[in-house]
Amino acid sequence: MSEWEPKILAFLCNWCSYGAADLAGVSRMQYPPNLRVIRIPCSGRMSPKFVLSAFMNGADGVWVSG
Amino acid sequence: MKSYPRFIDPDKCTGCGQCAQVCPVTAINEFDCGLNLRAATYIQYAQAVPLAYGIDRDSCIGCGLCEKVCLAEAVSYDQRPSKAKIDVGAVVLSPGSDAFNPAKFDNYSYLKYPNVLTSLEMERILSASGPYQGHLMRPFDREEPKKIAWLQCIGSRDMNKCDHSYCSSVCCMYSIKEAVIAKEHSNVDLNCSIFYMDMRTFGKDFEKYYERAKDEGINFIRSRVHSIDEIGDTGDLSLKYVTAGGEIIDETFDMVVLSVGLEPKESAVELANNLGIELNHNNFIKTTDRDPVNTSKEGVFVCGAFQGPKDIPQSVVEASAAAAAAGEILATVRNTDTKDVELVPELNILGEPPRIGVFVCKCGTNIAGVVDVPDVTAYAATLPYVVYTTDNLYTCSQDTQEVIAKTIREENLNRIVVASCSPKTHEPMFQDTLTSCGLNKYLFEMANIRNQCSWVHANNPPLATDKSKDLVRMAVAKVGLKEPLNEISLNVKQSAMVIGGGIAGMTSALGLARQGFKTHLIEKSPQLGGQANNLFKTAKGELVQDLLADMIENVKKEENIELHLDTEVTGVEGFVGNFTSKLLTGGEESEIEHGVATVAIGGFEYQPTEYQYGNDPRIVTSLELDKKLIADDPIFKEIQTAVFIQCVGSREPDRPYCSRICCSHSVEAALEIKEKNPDANVFILNRDIRTYGEREEMYKRAREAGVLFIRYTVDQKPEVVIEDGKVIVKTFDEILGRPLEIETDLLSLATAVLPNNDVELAQFFKVAMNEDGFFVEKHAKLGPSEFATDGVFLCGLAHFPKSIDESIAQGQAAASRAVTLLAQGTVKTSGEVASINPMLCSSCGICVAVCPYSAPNFLEEGRFAGKSEINPVMCKGCGICVSSCRSGAISLKGFDNEQILAMISAA
Repeated sequence: MSEWEPKILAFLCNWCSYGAADLAGVSRMQYPPNLRVIRIPCSGRMSPKFVLSAFMNGADGVWVSG
Repeated sequence: MKSYPRFIDPDKCTGCGQCAQVCPVTAINEFDCGLNLRAATYIQYAQAVPLAYGIDRDSCIGCGLCEKVCLAEAVSYDQRPSKAKIDVGAVVLSPGSDAFNPAKFDNYSYLKYPNVLTSLEMERILSASGPYQGHLMRPFDREEPKKIAWLQCIGSRDMNKCDHSYCSSVCCMYSIKEAVIAKEHSNVDLNCSIFYMDMRTFGKDFEKYYERAKDEGINFIRSRVHSIDEIGDTGDLSLKYVTAGGEIIDETFDMVVLSVGLEPKESAVELANNLGIELNHNNFIKTTDRDPVNTSKEGVFVCGAFQGPKDIPQSVVEASAAAAAAGEILATVRNTDTKDVELVPELNILGEPPRIGVFVCKCGTNIAGVVDVPDVTAYAATLPYVVYTTDNLYTCSQDTQEVIAKTIREENLNRIVVASCSPKTHEPMFQDTLTSCGLNKYLFEMANIRNQCSWVHANNPPLATDKSKDLVRMAVAKVGLKEPLNEISLNVKQSAMVIGGGIAGMTSALGLARQGFKTHLIEKSPQLGGQANNLFKTAKGELVQDLLADMIENVKKEENIELHLDTEVTGVEGFVGNFTSKLLTGGEESEIEHGVATVAIGGFEYQPTEYQYGNDPRIVTSLELDKKLIADDPIFKEIQTAVFIQCVGSREPDRPYCSRICCSHSVEAALEIKEKNPDANVFILNRDIRTYGEREEMYKRAREAGVLFIRYTVDQKPEVVIEDGKVIVKTFDEILGRPLEIETDLLSLATAVLPNNDVELAQFFKVAMNEDGFFVEKHAKLGPSEFATDGVFLCGLAHFPKSIDESIAQGQAAASRAVTLLAQGTVKTSGEVASINPMLCSSCGICVAVCPYSAPNFLEEGRFAGKSEINPVMCKGCGICVSSCRSGAISLKGFDNEQILAMISAA
């Protein structure tokens, strides 16, 4: 069994998904600790540069939500 | 005012929820309609504002556990109700409504069968934060239903058992929505059926949603279900109903949803009685169409569902309208009770290397119980440019703010990171602390190690600690690159321009003028009044011509209104707070300056090409009929038969919207004809009768007066022929199952309401129109009376077809929204806005095209003419332009590429 765990970088829109991630906390929903969240002002801020940079810096997955 | 105790001080409570976790009591969760349990110490729902817990003393056993675990010392069992007295100049009543309780009547079998639910329970079941986390299940056996029925008009449009005669306005639309969402949530091909009398999707874009639901396979069955029976012990339910064709059907469903209506709250009725405010026979506040938010008592206003059943957009419109009405009487005392904040001069940190301070919060045990806070704090100290670290029991407490301010000064910190909860709730508070000691508030970053770490990884402390370190490292990497940002403030010109002198425009202008602002009212034609000049009576029976004459007189005598008749707007320049518009009055050009603008350009009546219109003087449109009624035409004494045809030009493939007002209008006109000549035969040929809200009672009166309502379908429309000097209407009656021929003396066509499709004006203000030609508001629910472009507002038919009272309410609402800008005197921008380096700009225009707020523009003169520039006042900092710019010329302060890339490489 491999103990490898992916590292996923999440770009979350401040107004919806970031707020939803906060609510998941208030509701004490549990999920694996593999996410690292970067708050962006809108999913429109998302740029291909960020995805490429994330992979170049060793991320195993990128999640954009907005 | 009496405040009931909540036994937990909301100022001290940090919303950590420790108290609820240790509470041994289980009580029924009312918010989830009893489908779930909660503790005695609880918050109603996760989104609650403020996020502060309370104790339900009715179920509390007084064990004292919550007090023991509350490190913030917020629990106090001995709180008593407190009374307070406040001096106010106006009161707004907005207590809302209750959902009708179907338990009162055994025929709905609500209490008898567990799978018979109310629509409110269905909302909770479908909600991701609801009792089943959004999984579609039925309460009886937690099985996934395969077939669900919605029964409309439960408690509405029904006098059978002393329920309510009015239509609740919202249920048709929410049932369609629930059915669509249920299908989305279901793992099977869910069969949804909605049993209804008339489908009332009369709101903006609602008819399209109805059509979409039909395309998605939702069944709409026009029938009132006779009885609900459970089949053995399966939990399944058998419904018996009769189809329009007379066939009796017995169908089995897994679940039945009762679409319950709205009714006034008992407590609200009591409040109104105590205040001596008149209610109508349905116990809603008595209002007039002329003053839709005024109660019978001067200075007391009403909005929302206590005024009458209504949906969110109309409630929001009325809320703003009530604020305008209150603002009118309070205009002279504006800002007499406000205090100015003393500003601390800002420190200049330019050129200094970052000196970062990191404050790690334990949040009682909320973070420290999972994350190794000392370890994270020690780790933070090893990061570049970090010169100070500490941990706090509660970083957000008032005494910690003093400690942080003192530390900033003593340690010369110029960048701050707080690792605690969410910036969405706490960033402004910490930024205040920075400002209080002269540090620019943008030199700040938060690491969310509670909501997005300790709370969601409670079972994995080592990994939660690792994640916290990563989040702190990312925040430190970003904050090091942050710079002080300026918030520009600009003066708002203290005047307004309202375009359109109809009911909505005049109301808006009066609202602005009476609140003390100079207002230019622009009307294209030589006379005020717009379409109201053609209207006879409102739904409540008020004479429109009287109302209009009074309104015009008020406009003319209002000193703050400058009237521009025969005038067109030929150009608009500028932006929020600073507009300059060109006017053309009878060939003469002039220019006015204004801080805000309201678009109220109205609409007009569709001129039909169908039903032989134009070929016989007896065939008229709704407005032509009203003109005859206004003139008290003697023809009404003579006519023996009158026919109305509904949906002429509305709800058609090329004009798919419902014009909202035509059903009520025809019913009202039919009653008028009946009153003038009770022996006249009056027929209304319709597809659905949409007399929403209390207008339903008019429909009932019309039926009682003998008006005949005959339904037709869009595939089998009525036909009109003129033969031997007779006007004959041919239609198919689906209840009788046979064709009918009616020879009529009058045929009134309920024609569609069309928008004044003014593309040029839309371009002046850079505002959008939908495919039907109506203007697109900022937000369909929450921003109905304003545009996405700052400083521009919207009301009346230009927004969507609406009745006189609704136009008045929206006119007031647009004024109210505009005054929120004017009254501040200045507009302050956020520091986090986009800016363009003109040296790199290639003038491609992408930013101009993609910006939803019209912030970028091409420079017209100067060294960089032709290059794009962003107006910081209009920029909302979304960053769409930054990501779209092919030349890399745009940067977004606070979320710049380098800052985000630094976070990525630190992650």
